[in-house]
Amino acid sequence: MDDFDRGAMLESFIQEMGILVDQLENTMVQTGEVYTKEQINEIFRIMHTIKGSASMMLFTEMADVTHSAEDLFFFLRENTPTVDVDYATITDLVLESVDFIKLQLAHMEDGETLDEKPPELMKNLKDCLSNIKGEGEGTDAATAQTSAGVQPTQGLPVATGDVNRYSALIFFQEGSEMENVRAFTVIHNLKDVATDVVTVPGNVLDEDSIWSIRSNGFRLEFSSNHSLEQIRNTLMQSIYIKDMQLEKISGEADPSTNVYMTTIKFQAESQMENVRAFALVNNIKDTVTILKQHPGDLLDQASAEVIRKKGFTMTVATDLNYRELESILQQTIYLEELTLSQVESAAQPTNQDATEDELAKEGVALLASAGDSDPLVDAFGQLGDTVSAAPPAIAQAVAVESTPAPVAAPVLATSTAASDAPRAKRAASSSVGMASDNDDSDQSKEKAGAKKPTTHSINVNVNKLDQLLNLVGELVISEAMVTQNPELEGLELESFTKESRQLRKIITEIQYTVMSMRMVPLAPTFFKMHRIVRDMCRQLKKDVHLEVIGDETEVDKNIIEHISDPLMHIIRNSLDHGIEKPEIRMQKGKSGQGTVTLEAKNSGGDVLIIIKDDGAGFNKEKILEKAYRNGLLVKPEEEYTEKEIYQFIFYPGFSTNESVTTFSGRGVGMDVVNTNLDHVGGTVIADSIEGEGSSITLKIPLTLAIIDGMLIKIGNDKYTIPIMDIRRSLKVTKNDIIFDPNGNEMIKIRGEVYNLVRLNNFFGLDIGYENVEDGIVLMLENGEKTVCVFADELVGEQQIVVKNIPKYIKKVHGLSGCTLLGNGDISLIVNVPAFFDV
Amino acid sequence: METESIKLNHIGSDTMDDKYLIFKVEEEEFGIEISTVQEIINIVPITRVPHTPNYLKGIINLRGDLVPIIEVRSRFMMEHRPYDDLTCIIVLEREEEKIGLIVDEVHEVKYISKENTSYPPSAKLSYANQFVKGLGHVEEKVILLIEPHDLLHDD
Repeated sequence: MDDFDRGAMLESFIQEMGILVDQLENTMVQTGEVYTKEQINEIFRIMHTIKGSASMMLFTEMADVTHSAEDLFFFLRENTPTVDVDYATITDLVLESVDFIKLQLAHMEDGETLDEKPPELMKNLKDCLSNIKGEGEGTDAATAQTSAGVQPTQGLPVATGDVNRYSALIFFQEGSEMENVRAFTVIHNLKDVATDVVTVPGNVLDEDSIWSIRSNGFRLEFSSNHSLEQIRNTLMQSIYIKDMQLEKISGEADPSTNVYMTTIKFQAESQMENVRAFALVNNIKDTVTILKQHPGDLLDQASAEVIRKKGFTMTVATDLNYRELESILQQTIYLEELTLSQVESAAQPTNQDATEDELAKEGVALLASAGDSDPLVDAFGQLGDTVSAAPPAIAQAVAVESTPAPVAAPVLATSTAASDAPRAKRAASSSVGMASDNDDSDQSKEKAGAKKPTTHSINVNVNKLDQLLNLVGELVISEAMVTQNPELEGLELESFTKESRQLRKIITEIQYTVMSMRMVPLAPTFFKMHRIVRDMCRQLKKDVHLEVIGDETEVDKNIIEHISDPLMHIIRNSLDHGIEKPEIRMQKGKSGQGTVTLEAKNSGGDVLIIIKDDGAGFNKEKILEKAYRNGLLVKPEEEYTEKEIYQFIFYPGFSTNESVTTFSGRGVGMDVVNTNLDHVGGTVIADSIEGEGSSITLKIPLTLAIIDGMLIKIGNDKYTIPIMDIRRSLKVTKNDIIFDPNGNEMIKIRGEVYNLVRLNNFFGLDIGYENVEDGIVLMLENGEKTVCVFADELVGEQQIVVKNIPKYIKKVHGLSGCTLLGNGDISLIVNVPAFFDV
Repeated sequence: METESIKLNHIGSDTMDDKYLIFKVEEEEFGIEISTVQEIINIVPITRVPHTPNYLKGIINLRGDLVPIIEVRSRFMMEHRPYDDLTCIIVLEREEEKIGLIVDEVHEVKYISKENTSYPPSAKLSYANQFVKGLGHVEEKVILLIEPHDLLHDD
């Protein structure tokens, strides 16, 4: 591990885990009242991979939690539970584990120390397992055996009766120092299980033996009545072991041990093949004994290249049969191609094993004739009757004449990357030819079909994209600086103008390309909402269906980060306040199941996200009353339009809920919606029909980084107002100005009266025109509100690159950022929503 | 002899420890640790930012970076004086953020060993004194050593 750049590994680990955990959460949320075989397999596979990777990275706490959850699914996969299984509880537990893993990943990313595994969760997982095992436990001998095979053997000394002679060659990690003492530890560890220990070098406590061990390895021979695997486990307990070869040189063959040879190739894009192989070895080392592997040192970067070219070859000894081993190996992530063949059969296999082994061998034989379908059909015919617990079948749609019994055929494992458990494939093969109504077969076929198309995408650090975008922003500005350079003024520059136009065109294209690179679909964000809906339904005892439309809509990465929270709050609100309990819905003549629709669509330069529910809707009177009590009303009640009234729900601390629940009632949630949307320059509009439901529309800009701005002047200071907020600009006369009793200025335009904000006063500047007739009035709009502002003059419209105001200057009221102008000057960007804050 | 060699070591070494940039505001000389200083530039037009303390003069565009600018005079509550040829901006880089200080003039970089620094008297005689974290004694003169953090933040 020391040879590695652990940082890089950790990064890819976190990323990979992130994907897996999302996938897992995804699958869990989709599970209904009963898990399908497919789901169980998928969940098991993901759990298994997480466990393997976590233990490879030595995150034992994480591995333990996943291990317990995995056990649960292992049981579900291998057995049909005799007792009623409370799948919803299992889902809860798994989701809880998912949360735990997510938290740990977050800790890793922040470089914090990881949490202890939550004892309660572990206990619940274990209880749950023993629950579903019920009385079924122990009755099925085969099951017990297989599950024992997957759980790591604890190295319990179980005598096999006969004495075997073993030879081992051990290399210690470079830099471990004091190899002789390490060797002594090994001997010490062996003491309990082995006799007649002979070592080379002989006297390990002699200082000179360090060099011998370091260069030639530490060789030892001993007798033991334990199995190869047990010995191996014992030896591996010693620390700093880098490589170990363990062979049995004499004695009875382990009756249950089969020897297989397997070659594994990884997908082209998987990278770090050596690490993948290492992970695989780590994954399977509990169940199999690796006799030989090529390349030997997986931690050497060079072996990545070897594996890429020739694949990773292992000879393994195990008491698993062909089918079991194959299904374990199939779980390797990024697996592209797997060949597995049996080298040495078990001495006294059980009846079933024999059949399967035969099948396995025939499978290899069939490999040769795979191109021809006839022998295959024969094989199906022959084997169909003999086997009941069938090994994996060919899932491709080979046209097989109807075969009554579940068809079995040894898998031609070279076919596919998709790992899948045997049962699914058996199910698939049984319905070959009538696949249309069978999900299993569809999916298997899909997986078993053509090789996965190589994805043409790479992962790029967001910081790099940010940097690129900044640079493009600079480029846009410098282009203006060059082509509009004051020194060029008055010169006849025909060709220069032409070329610079071409330059501008290219730069604009670069700008759009970079922006499109930052666009990501909303789907993952929307997906999280499924989880929220599910959890809340469970707790509130409501039945709500979440419908998602248009989740492929793309939004700038920075914006996505800001809308996840608002969405969550709105949906929580809908579920808690909006949608009624099933019985009340029934009484109202609605269907018992409520529906929340989450829809995204493009509209001009904005993205609209609409959250609609068919619940009770907002209660206008209640909102008004509450607004009145909170002193939010600024005009007579009856003058408020419906939309204005609904807008109150986004005020901080505004909640019509009488009591505070786990989910809402504190009046914080909807306030978050407003604040977050302000950040990204978006707006929120609420609408409702009482009794029929409500809808909340979030209007967010496609991108933040580059906007069209109107440059205005106040004295010598230049400010920029986003064009999208400006409705129009106009000259006014003194007669249009009205004062309210408090002396606030208002302005009458075409019969409508608006508040007038003088920008110089608003920003506390000692400059700018006093007389409204000298300057210009801009009518600004934000959502449903309109305000007029007064400035000295309009300078012009231009595309601006938004930059943050330096962090040292804390948030300034009324400003959303700043930008560099063509001449290098700085202009501050006006945050229009600020004018509406009371 | 021994002390001599230690001293030489210090001067000859490349480390920035105990080296101070000496600048002048009003008639007093201040020192700021050189390791925090990124560069010194001439005074440039500053874009003012509304609703900020008056010693925060605004922001400048330093090769594409936006740098907030603090006027040390007004931070020390000293009287305003028009900028002249000697007025400089010392650009500090701290916590990956740049901040500029407007000072009357910048003098030199001096090595002031730890032995030659002392704590300021506890009685604060002027407003500016509260920013002084130590007194450096160099060639009969006393340099007021400033901690940038105190200068930048109101605590």
